[in-house]
Amino acid sequence: MTAGATAEATVAEQPGPAVRVRGLRKTFGSTVAVASIDLDVPAGAVLGVLGPNGSGKTTMIRLLLALSRPTAGTVELLGHPVPSAAGEVLPHVGALVEGPGFHPFLSGRENLLRAAAAEPLLASSAIGSAVETALERVGLTGAASRRYRAYSLGMKQRLGLAAALLVPRRLVVLDEPTNGLDPAGTREVRRIIAELHAAGTTVLVSSHLLAEVEATCTHVAVLAEGTLITSGPLSALLDGDAPVLRVRTPDGAAAAAALRSAGVDASPDVDGVSVELVGTDAPAVVGCLVRAGVAVHEVRRQRTGLDELFAQLTEGGAP
Amino acid sequence: MMRAPLARLLRSEVRWVLRRPRTQVALGLLAVVPVLIGVGIVLADSPDGSGLLTQVAGNGLVLPVAALSISLALLLPLVVTMAAADALAGESAHGTLRGLLLAPVGRGRLLVVKAVGVLAVAVFAVTAVAVLGIATGFVLVGEPGGLLTLSGTEVGVGSGLLRVVLAALWTVGQLAAVGAVALAISSATDHPLVVLAAALGGLIVFGVLSALPALEWMQPLLLTTGWAAIVDVLRDPLPFDGLLTSSYRAACYVAIGAALAAARMTTREA
Repeated sequence: MTAGATAEATVAEQPGPAVRVRGLRKTFGSTVAVASIDLDVPAGAVLGVLGPNGSGKTTMIRLLLALSRPTAGTVELLGHPVPSAAGEVLPHVGALVEGPGFHPFLSGRENLLRAAAAEPLLASSAIGSAVETALERVGLTGAASRRYRAYSLGMKQRLGLAAALLVPRRLVVLDEPTNGLDPAGTREVRRIIAELHAAGTTVLVSSHLLAEVEATCTHVAVLAEGTLITSGPLSALLDGDAPVLRVRTPDGAAAAAALRSAGVDASPDVDGVSVELVGTDAPAVVGCLVRAGVAVHEVRRQRTGLDELFAQLTEGGAP
Repeated sequence: MMRAPLARLLRSEVRWVLRRPRTQVALGLLAVVPVLIGVGIVLADSPDGSGLLTQVAGNGLVLPVAALSISLALLLPLVVTMAAADALAGESAHGTLRGLLLAPVGRGRLLVVKAVGVLAVAVFAVTAVAVLGIATGFVLVGEPGGLLTLSGTEVGVGSGLLRVVLAALWTVGQLAAVGAVALAISSATDHPLVVLAAALGGLIVFGVLSALPALEWMQPLLLTTGWAAIVDVLRDPLPFDGLLTSSYRAACYVAIGAALAAARMTTREA
């Protein structure tokens, strides 16, 4: 699935994709970190960039944000070429990349004040309130006066998130935002992403945790070894090819035998059979079972879990 | 293009530099240097000998100049180099350079802001040494009766203070040269210690080179060659040759450092 599929999901009122990447490549010496990536992120989408460690997620994000220069290829953020027009577009982009970066001898609030002073879109008079709002949004108001040195890993991560949200953004890029967070913190990050999505902000979030992406994203891009394996709307990827029909029956063995004799591949399991719908469809399977006199209690189309997809894609090589 | 106001960035930078505990400790220790020298001279109180330090006895305004001259040998470059190391390499090591570049602060602007931060540390450090030197001198000598120059003449208190200010300004200029080169190194590494080691190591090598008679031709190239010129402010009439030559030389080092740092910053990955 490539640009064509994602283009359909582009929010109508936005002129173009929020992120547009063509032929992006980055090599360090003989190491290819990003091979050649073409990617469109529709405006307003929440794109989950999924990939195992070392798959090129962070390198790609650094290239998007002009922190690193591509060996080849082009990047457009919000319609502006990057890095040449980074000065125009980066004020509208909030980012948390490679973990939070702050000074240990300053308090959380002082660190944010320093970050806010560099924000082009913040008027000097608005800095104080913007910092307090951001602290409140990530639940750090109580710890704002403590030195960053004394923060827990989760609090550091939250402060990094606060810095990305100092200004209302059009694009927010979060590199592994739930790293080090407890389940409550993880839920809060999901809530913040949902809020951003509801406000029309495009969000790009990388993760190696599949549940994270499944819970928060509208679109997904899967990277492995610096190559984009697949990308598109989450729903389309979940309903990918070769769906599986789960049939619950007390007589699994008989059901499997009946189906096999009808030329359908079926495997018995704990309380029934699983049927791979290749060259057949659900009504045909059910009809076959009923004709064979097998008691059918429940028939359910099994959603291909993203983790299963992820495992297939990354371990089994490109489809 | 939207940009954060430069004055706001500079204020934020100077506040950050001064909030840093190591800056505070360094400035505090530097301020102790003239006090220690002054007290040491009073306690030793040996009238024989002809060095600069013996001139301090009974001649308070010599103390700040002597303290600046002694600190310039290593302590002041150390403090400035430390500031330059933290300015880019240190920020990079903390992951905070990324935040500034993402805000975004343009790379050229960032270099200007950082240079001002380093210069601010140099100014604060020199001021600390000079002011505490003047104060200690007055306390030890009592009622200031002017400045007895090395040439044997006496100039008034006002003129004497002006000479101390001149020495301080000249010292800031020399430190700017050290800071510019250190900042260039800082722009090329993620490790603050590398900056510290390279810059101070360079100064020590300069000292060694200037001590070798066979390498006399190299002297005009070495920054440290002109550092003895600070004593000229204590002569009457004031010979400007040495002070000017060493200041021009410092300006060349600033230009080279700035050019190298700018070149490195445009391609630096953060």
